[in-house]
Amino acid sequence: MSSQSSFDHYAGRAHAQDHDHRHDHAAPAADDEGPPSEYEVMSRAMQELLEEKGLITAEEIRRRMETFEEDFPYRGSRVIARAWADPEFKKRLLQDGKAACAEMGVDLEAERLIAVENTPEVHNVIVCTLCSCYPRALLGMPPTWYKSSNYRSRVVYEPRAVLKEFGTVLPDSVTVRVHDSNADMRYVVIPMRPAGTDGWSEEALTKLATRDTLVGVTVPRA
Amino acid sequence: MKFGASATASPSTYTPAPNHRFNVGDRVVVKRSFPPGHRRTPYYIRGKRGVIERICGAFPNPEELAYGFDGQPRRVLYRVRFPQRHVWQQYDGPARDVIEMEIYEHWLEPASDQAGGE
Amino acid sequence: MYAILKPDETRSDGERMSDKPINKGPHDMGGEPAGAIDTTDHGMKFWEKQANALRSTLGAKKIVRLDELRRAAEDLGELYYKLAYFERTTMALRTMLLEKGVITEPELHAKMDEVRARFDVPQAASKPVQKSGHR
Repeated sequence: MSSQSSFDHYAGRAHAQDHDHRHDHAAPAADDEGPPSEYEVMSRAMQELLEEKGLITAEEIRRRMETFEEDFPYRGSRVIARAWADPEFKKRLLQDGKAACAEMGVDLEAERLIAVENTPEVHNVIVCTLCSCYPRALLGMPPTWYKSSNYRSRVVYEPRAVLKEFGTVLPDSVTVRVHDSNADMRYVVIPMRPAGTDGWSEEALTKLATRDTLVGVTVPRA
Repeated sequence: MKFGASATASPSTYTPAPNHRFNVGDRVVVKRSFPPGHRRTPYYIRGKRGVIERICGAFPNPEELAYGFDGQPRRVLYRVRFPQRHVWQQYDGPARDVIEMEIYEHWLEPASDQAGGE
Repeated sequence: MYAILKPDETRSDGERMSDKPINKGPHDMGGEPAGAIDTTDHGMKFWEKQANALRSTLGAKKIVRLDELRRAAEDLGELYYKLAYFERTTMALRTMLLEKGVITEPELHAKMDEVRARFDVPQAASKPVQKSGHR
């Protein structure tokens, strides 16, 4: 369906994992450039004040960073791969996103998940026009484009043009369903299982369910 | 058109909403109102007509939580589906394209039986 | 999409009437004309990851609410368009910590001076530097 997929940063993440383990979370990364901006200074200052006041600890922050870096980003593709491999699981995921994830040991914390399914007739795409709500406990942090003004403004009124910018072209016979994640729910797209993957293991399927496909701007291919 | 997912289920994350005013399939219109302050009803959907897609449950009102109030009593939250052509005058895609979002009950009124969109 | 409520006119006191839709916040951007999307994910800098962890931890401990942080970001007015995402969230957190009396302005200024000195950054003016980034 898509003529060509653009670079999906998520796909590159797995290779970066080793590098992140050597990261010293207490100090700026070697690859950060230049002196800190005023906002970085402000953010660090607030953090240190809160630590001094005993409201948080440096360890808590470090562990939270680790969870966001090493745990959250890898969960979504596993859940979707299972949905592809196991139709009954997919039904449960559609019925109750949070409970289905919990079956797999994926704790979505306070997030309430609604899974929406792509079919040959329907394509789903997710946005939060008002801020950048995103199922972080399932997918990790949102990509910069998701948080951008241009995406937030345009995907609601010209989703097909926006999808084209990501290399996804949909015929008019496919209905586009945009979800503005504007209040208390969070969303994940269950893409159609790619053709040519019969008999594939869940692990192999996991590699196809990349982040961008779970937001709905691209479709997975084998 | 069926978009899948039973809208009558009560998933674990949906809090009970026993006194919900609207039911799945009801035609509703978002209030054409532009109050100040923190609102989770996007500007572009005000005054638009749609259909209740599901009842999400009842939650503390974010419009009040944003200012340090407790947001009680809980307000019923719905997912509402809108035809894109009813939302945007210049919508370029097929008539079946839709946009869906969560709207709090106090932002909704029953749609009249008048035919046609906005 | 929505009506322009008043034409741009000048009142007798010289102040121009706004032609902005009434009570539309800078964050409420669904439907606005906008340009091409930079479809590359530029990831997060170290301090942004740390700021995100800070916000998440404070939320989990109920020291600040997500709804409050959203509101504080929305209230940035014109600054909303000038700041990048994590600059906005930092300003929003600052607002909420001050509002709740968790920190004071003098405390924050003093700590910021300390942090700057540690990174050998020249002492800045009292207003934060505005820089554009990925908005």
